[in-house]
Amino acid sequence: MQKKRKNKQSVMYHNSSQKKFWTFSSEEHLEQLRYEANQRLRAKVLGSARDLTAFSESLFLDPLEEAVLFRHYERRLLDFCTNFKPVMPKSVVGTANMYFRRFYVNNSLMEYHPRIIMLTCAYLACKVDEFNVSSSQFVGNLQETSAGQEKALEQILEYELLLIQQLNFHLVVHNPYRPMEGFLIDLKTRYLTLENPEMLRKTADDFLNRAMLTDVGLLFSPSQIALTAVLNSASRAGINMESYLTECLGLKEDKETLSKMIDSMKRIKTLLKKYEPPNPEEVSTYKQKLERIHTEFIINTNSKRKRGYEDDDHVTKEHPVAEEEEWTDEDLECLRS
Amino acid sequence: MDQYSILGRIGEGAHGIVFKAKHIETGETVALKKVALRRLEDGIPNQALREIKALQEIEENQYVVTLKNVFPHGTGFVLVFEYMLSDLSEVIRNSQRPLTESQVKGYMLMLLKGVAFCHENCIMHRDLKPANLLISSTGQLKIADFGLARLFSNEGERLYSHQVATRWYRAPELLYGARKYDEGVDLWAVGCIFGELINNSPLFPGENDIEQLCCVLRVLGTPNQQVWPEITELPDYNKITFKENPPIPLEEIVPDTSPQAVDLLKKFLVYPSKQRITASQALLHPYFFTDPLPAHHSELPIPQRGGGRSRQRLQPPHEFSVDRPLYKSLVDPALIHGHA
Repeated sequence: MQKKRKNKQSVMYHNSSQKKFWTFSSEEHLEQLRYEANQRLRAKVLGSARDLTAFSESLFLDPLEEAVLFRHYERRLLDFCTNFKPVMPKSVVGTANMYFRRFYVNNSLMEYHPRIIMLTCAYLACKVDEFNVSSSQFVGNLQETSAGQEKALEQILEYELLLIQQLNFHLVVHNPYRPMEGFLIDLKTRYLTLENPEMLRKTADDFLNRAMLTDVGLLFSPSQIALTAVLNSASRAGINMESYLTECLGLKEDKETLSKMIDSMKRIKTLLKKYEPPNPEEVSTYKQKLERIHTEFIINTNSKRKRGYEDDDHVTKEHPVAEEEEWTDEDLECLRS
Repeated sequence: MDQYSILGRIGEGAHGIVFKAKHIETGETVALKKVALRRLEDGIPNQALREIKALQEIEENQYVVTLKNVFPHGTGFVLVFEYMLSDLSEVIRNSQRPLTESQVKGYMLMLLKGVAFCHENCIMHRDLKPANLLISSTGQLKIADFGLARLFSNEGERLYSHQVATRWYRAPELLYGARKYDEGVDLWAVGCIFGELINNSPLFPGENDIEQLCCVLRVLGTPNQQVWPEITELPDYNKITFKENPPIPLEEIVPDTSPQAVDLLKKFLVYPSKQRITASQALLHPYFFTDPLPAHHSELPIPQRGGGRSRQRLQPPHEFSVDRPLYKSLVDPALIHGHA
């Protein structure tokens, strides 16, 4: 029974959009994509600015500065999720976090403000993961006046479509939590050298929480991350579990896979070690830059999507009955002409 | 959107109108389902999210309708599905006499293969009914409309809504308000569809939720703890009591069919969800291996949408005109299939 369930899970990850579209080959590749997003935004601003002197290069955030701010808002996202009432399941938090990371692989923070994107990510994750909270309940978790909450909700709903598009409509996220449970069960049933696998849980959990703050979710499969968490927890407790890989996971004869796996685990650990919490002083400097870019420029470019909604209202008000047809007519019209 | 040209209207889907269209580049006919987002209180509807989620993560399967693409359009987005000519409710409605046993077997085989595939991928459909079983121009059956589908591999004992599934096909545990249930709700629906194919009319045509329960109880007998131990834990169990009545033998409900068919039907229509035969087990039932054998999909009736009123099966090409788009002068190969 257990075996069957494990197979199902791996079959699902194997076919997943996560594996196909959101697992990147290397740290360098991710860096490159973020650099390109930063450059695109610069070109866009400079291309549309009437007075070029108002936009000297130094006004922009460079990719490293964006990374610092990203880490700041990511922490805020996780704080929001952890303090959420009712308690948000871990998988929802993991999904929200992955949405946030995926979104800023191809977009600059200067183009879309992370404050609103992070809330939109959390909101969409709740819905996709069937953690059913109403929209008012959701924004009720913000430390804001009711007017502020209403405004936030308005923005969330406005950015939801953009988010889902930028995620390429790939909504299912595979988190490492289930594989970790699977490994613990497997240790209990097949790896009897280890007396009390449950004692590995706490440190392994911490490992997964720290992993969330890095790119590992964009580079490795959830089961690789989970296995690293478990083995790392064991080695912290002074237990060498290499025999689990060779005996239980059947890698004794398959030296190539074994060395690949050990290499991946090393890379995962390095990524976690390299993590630096955002420096508060840097954050406040970059935030000022960010706010300035958003108020001076971005308002103009994003108004198009907003107008879409206004138009919609307009249509609804004028032809309340023909609401459903609005798309039809316009599309059929252009065909007939 | 400019990759497609709209050919006409197919009908109403779970979240909007569905159009028939042609993908200009490949010439392929598709169904477009537009999800519009007008200041909806909660934003993108859950049904649309579920449909995308369920269909995007599974490999293509012959018996499940394919989601070909999703793209933004205006203030919403469009789901692109493979085009299907008709659905099983049309087949049942349009057939003059009941389907032959071999045809029923053919449909059941395809339905069960589709359901088995979904369940293997941890997806419960939750709204199986003839109108959601689409029929292609070659007679293939494919499961569609995953607007209520759920991935049931999610951890923990989450509560689900019991307001799912169209009433006639709703499992008894849902009628009693169950919030924890499993893929057995799909297997109950399969049983209802099976009976409907045999009888050419719905098995439990309740007009409201209470009457629906009455319909089921009249046939299966009033449930008690012996036949259905979990019943006492269901939320609405104490809210309504029915007069004791014994079950009616299913042979009397589906009178003109083989003993194997009755035997298989019995295995779907049982109160405890866990005791219902799974889709993959059902595929091994002797029913499918005894004469008459299941019909191949090419031997199955292919009704036209709208009961065949509006459309001729074969139209001669119009006279040549420069203004007329080329594709309009061509005969749709799907239409001459079977005539050639």
